[in-house]
Amino acid sequence: MNFAHGGLFTVGAYAGWLAYTQYDSFALGIVAAIVVTFVLGVVIERILIRQYYARPKEDQILVTFGLGIVLVETVRAIFTAQNKLVPTPPWAEGSVQIADLVYPQYRLDVVGIVIVTLAVVWLIVFKTRLGLIVRAGIDDSLIVEMLGIDIGRAFMLVFALGAAVAGLAGFVDSPILALTPDVGTAVLVQSFVVIVIGGVGSFGGAIVGGIVAGEIISLTSVFAPDWAQVALYLAMALVLIVRPQGLLGVVGRA
Amino acid sequence: MILGPVGDRTGWKVEGATALFLVLFPALLALFGVGTDLGTRILILGLFGIGVDLIFGYTGLLSFGQAAFYGTGGFITANLLIHHNVPNALGALAIGTLGAALAGALVGSLALRQVGIYFAMLTLAFGQLFYFLENSPLRAYTGSENGLPGVPKAIFTAGPWTLDFSSSLGMYVFVAMIYFGGFFIARRIVRSPFGAVLRAIRENPERALAVGHRVPRYKLVAFTIAAAYGGLAGGLLGIFQGYMPPEAFTIDQSGEIIVMTVIGGPGTLIGPLVGAGVWTLLRQGLQNIDVIAGIWKLILGIVFVLLITGFRRGLVGAAIALAGRLRPAR
Repeated sequence: MNFAHGGLFTVGAYAGWLAYTQYDSFALGIVAAIVVTFVLGVVIERILIRQYYARPKEDQILVTFGLGIVLVETVRAIFTAQNKLVPTPPWAEGSVQIADLVYPQYRLDVVGIVIVTLAVVWLIVFKTRLGLIVRAGIDDSLIVEMLGIDIGRAFMLVFALGAAVAGLAGFVDSPILALTPDVGTAVLVQSFVVIVIGGVGSFGGAIVGGIVAGEIISLTSVFAPDWAQVALYLAMALVLIVRPQGLLGVVGRA
Repeated sequence: MILGPVGDRTGWKVEGATALFLVLFPALLALFGVGTDLGTRILILGLFGIGVDLIFGYTGLLSFGQAAFYGTGGFITANLLIHHNVPNALGALAIGTLGAALAGALVGSLALRQVGIYFAMLTLAFGQLFYFLENSPLRAYTGSENGLPGVPKAIFTAGPWTLDFSSSLGMYVFVAMIYFGGFFIARRIVRSPFGAVLRAIRENPERALAVGHRVPRYKLVAFTIAAAYGGLAGGLLGIFQGYMPPEAFTIDQSGEIIVMTVIGGPGTLIGPLVGAGVWTLLRQGLQNIDVIAGIWKLILGIVFVLLITGFRRGLVGAAIALAGRLRPAR
């Protein structure tokens, strides 16, 4: 997770939108969002981020924050600040009735896409050699390098993978949100809150945090709409006081 | 150590040079055809940035939620003045500053439980909490998206005498005096034993803790002082504009003050003022050029990324390093 992910979310959304509307294929939009942000992730890591691994954490935060600005402003310069309408793909129009609830079909499909993406990321992180190297490298990069493993390449691939997931999220989300260059920033902050509630470094925590955050916003919207957003952040403060590592977090992973 | 440890040899030179600069600044701006109001705006941001510099440049705490305090101080001050609850601007500013400091102590006591990127994320999230509070539940006091118009100017009366700072230059003088006071106090803080401990925390928190300093306490005090600076600057913004804008609470505001501080030079106190000047004047300048009017923020973003990568200590840090190299070795 880094502060450039808001910008990558935006870039993914616009790349996907462009491919989708040009060639009238939602699948192509997904491919474009993933490929563009993955390649961008590789380039950013090679040119900039790798110089920062040995520098203070605060510098890494600053440079990714700055990159976020550059990405969002580049998108604004190319596509203007005007809202883009991203149509729901035809196969996902309409709504489904589940018991008493009427639910838009597309949102259910998004849930499916999210589950597949989570599964793929989980497999990469926990079941492949790449994931093993990166997890070992976070614990002790010196030992990993002494074993003759090119840890720089592994970090690059994981950075790019993170970028691609952010890009995919941006595109998949765009038929639900109005697409503007600033979509990423709002989502970035909410994702931080989700991580704080769920727990840093915990895969399940992110999912649980997301569900809890969604419930808080929806339920408060019904009873006290003015307080919906505020309630989310108050819940975050409460989690911090009662359980600083987050609901499913592990102590020492922050 | 950028301005030297406790008891450095700069004496009062820095304060003197700053005072001189503040006197000459409006004339300098006029030379380039820039109005005094822009100078006032730069000083307000510079004052806001002193707080950011105290926690980031000196203590190593990177907060992305400083707009919360800028807005809190601003809206408290504006409310007090609009409803004539206090007799004059100084009283309102004092209460606004205190309110922001309290908010800072509250946010700090929660966010400072974490360090590094986690701390940065928390401050960003708390900044949003304040934004949404302003935006909806507290709209009776904040005007929600419209902000608060009609903030009275700084006019002081005592018996038959009146001191009126409502002109453009008058406002500049008023803000410049407060800026200088804030700068002076901040210099005292960073050159005191307290300031030395803050730097120790920045360089090596574990060691600072090991030699017996109560690191969490020091961090909280520094964070609270930074919030007070933000609140004071926010209050001045409302008085200066005659209008308190809701944008004071936004993420963009929090991000911009960080960018200004880093461009100018963290750990120098004067850096944020330089950064605010560069940001504000470049923005003004670039917006006047047709071709790049739309991309001024992109250009500043690229400058920012290049600066952190190349000149970690910003423009002022680079200037100090250059001056040190030019001086012959003794």
